[in-house]
Amino acid sequence: MSPAPSAPLFIREMGLPARFSLYVLVCLFLLALDARYSTLFGLRAGLNAIIHPAQMVLAQPWEWLQNVGHFFVGHGELVAENTRLKQQQDILGASVREHAAVAKENAQLRALLALPPRPGFNTLTGEVIEAAPNPFTRKVIINRGSSQGVVAGVPVVDAIGLVGQVTRVYAWTAEVTLLTDRDQGAPVQNLRNGLRSIVSGQGSDNQLEVRFLDMHADLQPGDLLYTSGIDGVYPAGVPVARVIKVEQPRHTPFARALCQPLGGVGKYRHVVILVPAETAAKPTTKILAPAKSPGARP
Amino acid sequence: MNMHKPLLPQGAELTHPPTRIKVYVSLILAFALTLLPWSETYRWLVPDFTLMALLYWNIRAPRLAGLGAAFGFGLLSDVARGVLIGLNALAFCAATFVVLLVQRRLAGFDATRQTLQLAPILLGKELLVLAIGLAIGRGMVDWRWLAAGVVATLLWSPLAWLVDRITGRASAAVGQQASY
Repeated sequence: MSPAPSAPLFIREMGLPARFSLYVLVCLFLLALDARYSTLFGLRAGLNAIIHPAQMVLAQPWEWLQNVGHFFVGHGELVAENTRLKQQQDILGASVREHAAVAKENAQLRALLALPPRPGFNTLTGEVIEAAPNPFTRKVIINRGSSQGVVAGVPVVDAIGLVGQVTRVYAWTAEVTLLTDRDQGAPVQNLRNGLRSIVSGQGSDNQLEVRFLDMHADLQPGDLLYTSGIDGVYPAGVPVARVIKVEQPRHTPFARALCQPLGGVGKYRHVVILVPAETAAKPTTKILAPAKSPGARP
Repeated sequence: MNMHKPLLPQGAELTHPPTRIKVYVSLILAFALTLLPWSETYRWLVPDFTLMALLYWNIRAPRLAGLGAAFGFGLLSDVARGVLIGLNALAFCAATFVVLLVQRRLAGFDATRQTLQLAPILLGKELLVLAIGLAIGRGMVDWRWLAAGVVATLLWSPLAWLVDRITGRASAAVGQQASY
């Protein structure tokens, strides 16, 4: 190497291995802090505040290019899409009318049972602006943050079903952990027989699983799993998954069911964030199921 | 190896030496490249441009870049990628350390011949990130991401050639060839 003109003749500093080991120690310390304790949130939020504006600016030309591309979409494609959307609208309209009737009936039934009403949720539409480039987790970044009232922990759904949960909130963005993430779970209830279980992600894109299922649990391929709402996080009755296969136990005392998510987990561009209507008026209104059979799983 | 390489900088390398501004501007540009909205379908193929820029400057001007820059840009990478803080910082520091150990040897080669020597470092960085992630218990690992290291190796020679040209080192090489 050619010495720079300003380089001192004699270098007074630690040797390379010493400096390297110092940096390694600092890195390992940070890793341990971040993995085990959530004390580094301030550092992450600060650095994110630097990176986020740059990311927005860099994404802008791409969006313009895409808009130009959309402008030249063929006429036939538009017509086809229009027909498809009209059909879809008819179907959706029908189901909405059906839903209204069901909701009315549901309200009556609730009143009958004198159950506390489910806490209301405000819907907030967000756009997925980025999928976290991280090989270990399934997470997306949406363009709604604490300034719009998003708080960590609130559920995220789409038109069909559950998508995930907000796990980190920044000022203008939020990180959503998808249902398919390995560490993510959702309490569900089988629509057919009311069996409660927990669906967890597998880390693969299009598969969920019910771990530690009772050997004799009545779960069959084709069963629909809806959120049970007993956790106070997810509202009850959101479609989550369809059971594909139930694996009988071989080496363990538990069976395991493979499921497919119903909502477009990681597929769609827009999601709906369910922000509790007033967080104060939500003293964990868990729908206390009157002590069912002790064998029932949470 | 270029046996005719002069011991002291000559020509354009002398009149346009690498400066701190050049180093940091190119590092920031490389980092910006990784921030571009790459499509999800080929995101795993995108090499770590920040690391490539770091290694380039550590080979060419180790007094200007160094472990500190590697650590700082590693932290930025961690936040941008949403991984555990310190993961990329550690990998960057390790790669920089190895390059600094053999810096005098690498500096003697041109970009094309450096490629083979840098391949284990560029691949090793991706492997290290995945391995640490596994060790900390992040569950399943998507091994496709190792491909980014391969792409980085393939891109090393053209990119180094380009940066040589932009930062005014190439005209020196041309001048030397003319004088032989």
